[in-house]
Amino acid sequence: MTPARPPFWRNVKVLRAVIQIIALVGVGLVVYVLFFNVTNNLRARGIRTDFEFLDQPFGVRIAGSDLSPGAPVRAALINGVKNTLALTVVGLPLLTILGVLVGVGRLSANWLVSKVATVYVEILRNLPPLLLIVFAFQGVILRLPPARSPATPFGWFVISNLETHVPGFRAGAGYAAFISAVGLALAIGAFVWWWRTRVQQETGAPHHRWAWSLGLVAVVGVIAYLVIGRPVTITLPVLTGRVVDGGFRGLGAFFAVMGALVLYTSSHVAEIVRGSIQAVPKGQTEAASALALSGFQRLRFVVLPQALRVALPPMINQYLNYVKNTSLAIVVGFAEVTLIAFQAIGNGQPAPQVIITLMAAYLMFSLVISLIINVFNRRLRVVTR
Amino acid sequence: MKLRLIAALAAVFLLAACTQAADTTTTVGGTPTTADGGVTTTADTGGTTAPAGETTTTGATEPGDGLLAEVQARGSVRCGINEAVPGFGFLEADGTRSGFDIDFCRAVAAAIFGDPEAVEFVPLTAQQRFTALQAGEIDVLIRNTTYTASRDGGEGATFLSTTFYDGQGMMVRADSGFTVMEDLANTAICVLSGTTTELNLATRFVDIPYEPLTFDENDVLQEAFVAGQCDGWTSDKSQLAGVRSAFPEGPDALVIMEETFSKEPLGPAVRDGDSQWAQIIDWVVNVTIIAEELGLESGNVDTFADTENLEIRRLLGLEIVSDEGTTIFDAGLGLEPGWPADVITAVGNYGEIFNRNVGPDTPLALERELNALWTEGGLIYAPPFR
Repeated sequence: MTPARPPFWRNVKVLRAVIQIIALVGVGLVVYVLFFNVTNNLRARGIRTDFEFLDQPFGVRIAGSDLSPGAPVRAALINGVKNTLALTVVGLPLLTILGVLVGVGRLSANWLVSKVATVYVEILRNLPPLLLIVFAFQGVILRLPPARSPATPFGWFVISNLETHVPGFRAGAGYAAFISAVGLALAIGAFVWWWRTRVQQETGAPHHRWAWSLGLVAVVGVIAYLVIGRPVTITLPVLTGRVVDGGFRGLGAFFAVMGALVLYTSSHVAEIVRGSIQAVPKGQTEAASALALSGFQRLRFVVLPQALRVALPPMINQYLNYVKNTSLAIVVGFAEVTLIAFQAIGNGQPAPQVIITLMAAYLMFSLVISLIINVFNRRLRVVTR
Repeated sequence: MKLRLIAALAAVFLLAACTQAADTTTTVGGTPTTADGGVTTTADTGGTTAPAGETTTTGATEPGDGLLAEVQARGSVRCGINEAVPGFGFLEADGTRSGFDIDFCRAVAAAIFGDPEAVEFVPLTAQQRFTALQAGEIDVLIRNTTYTASRDGGEGATFLSTTFYDGQGMMVRADSGFTVMEDLANTAICVLSGTTTELNLATRFVDIPYEPLTFDENDVLQEAFVAGQCDGWTSDKSQLAGVRSAFPEGPDALVIMEETFSKEPLGPAVRDGDSQWAQIIDWVVNVTIIAEELGLESGNVDTFADTENLEIRRLLGLEIVSDEGTTIFDAGLGLEPGWPADVITAVGNYGEIFNRNVGPDTPLALERELNALWTEGGLIYAPPFR
């Protein structure tokens, strides 16, 4: 005999669904009330609630950009996003390398190395990043020669506290062809890499992946360069009066923000790396020693591959923190996206909408970084053979 | 700065949290909220005689639901100010605040409470100021703010009587040899972000290549300028004079260029929608000007008890005897009659405020010029107090 069905108000499935619906309605109501209140109050104060401001002229020029004052707010914000991106693209690899070095250094058997790494971590991670940025700007960058009389070491650089120029290159005729040749070489190089890896796995012969792949790319690059005939020219920055011609340039404020945040974030990364290495079972190191691997080989082939797998998820947090901390650049006047957004607000664009746009920009950054790291993470997890 | 982001977000939520009650006052639009007081004597009957008929009540303030009532209940005026511009709004080393704008904040407090110290100063950056005003964090913004159409229209602010007629200039190092704007081609120019200054710079330098360095704090900007990161510093000339007066290397290390390339009328602003409050701020400013016209000063304001001058009697809330009886003039602004006397006692007349903070005897050493009384060829003019 089947037991009698309980009444529906005691049916767990029904109850769960009902609770979910109530919660949904509750959340919806709160969101609606907040939204309604904001729009109503804004309208009552005669403040617009639409996003047309994106097409309004931004009105001012931006440091390090050719944007005219008549360019729309949209273009200015995109310029800000690019600057934030520049801070990120340069900063993340640097802080990762620095963080791993310091993290490994903390565990070094060398007393001096381990103490230096400890001091590095303990000082940098216990200072507010804002303080570091202001120090890097006022204490380091501003101490460089003033913009009216820059230093020109070796004739290769033009350095002032306003901006730094380094040698760069300029595209010449046949630049596109050269780039496609190098791109093709890179693709073939990747294939060679894969092939050498297989050779090693099947025969046990040393793979020499780096030598094979890079050698190929270098050979193709040199041949393409000679065949096409100077598709790129190296340019040195030349100072005439106040104008610097040629080379690449970076604003002083950029280096202040990037340097300070790389130092700050790398101290956190170092701790993650140290913890991850210590999380690798001691037996692994002992087994590696038993196989007569050298200290470097133990680290490179046994410990780090396992440790970095543990380190990856918490690293996402540090990367995201770095990106969000770039908003502190506003104090030293580097035109990243937050500065542009607040500039827009100060010049009469509606604050709520600008802030929402700004939040969307940071959300986009964070989601993209999470996505990339998660893809890595998944790949690393399935490599177990 | 992250802090700023938080502040702006907080402002958004404050707006969201505003009650419906606040709504009703803001949507009134054109109707002056003073109409409900019913205590106004006619200020428009013409002639110099006092209004006939009903005598004015002395306790003219009937608590309404406007900002005045709120301020009176709170016991202090929240005044948005600057604290980094000597002469206008500056935080001294000993923690006191001084400046032209600060004095007008005190004048408002004196008018409402009879006590110039009943002010809560809220220091704001250029970028924060309108958000703070919209969100109701401050009652009045007196922070060397330029009156422009889009700010009046788009920021939910109402600008009132201009207190200072200023213009934008450019300051460079004296040893740079720069004399005209064109000399600054291909240099970097420091400017405070979120200001009209920034917009004017873009307009003036439309054909001159330059690198704008925008800072949101005067202190950091000054560091950058001192270190020579930028060759020019542009701002309102009065502000530049203030900075120059307090420059670490001495004022002679800097020159302010001749050219003035914008109109910068600076004055107080209030939130849209409460015309009674706006009128009060407006008339506090006007009263200081009228006092200068009439020769009333903080030192002599109590010596006029027997004056025959009806305008002074109206201003000071003294009894006016006419055929119809004795009256005390009440302009119907919702303040105690005679409030101008408190203002003048507290901060003095317009000329005193000017001379004390920015005048020839101060480090700023500004001349009156445009800010002279209209009777002396300037632009400082107030409607009659009657």
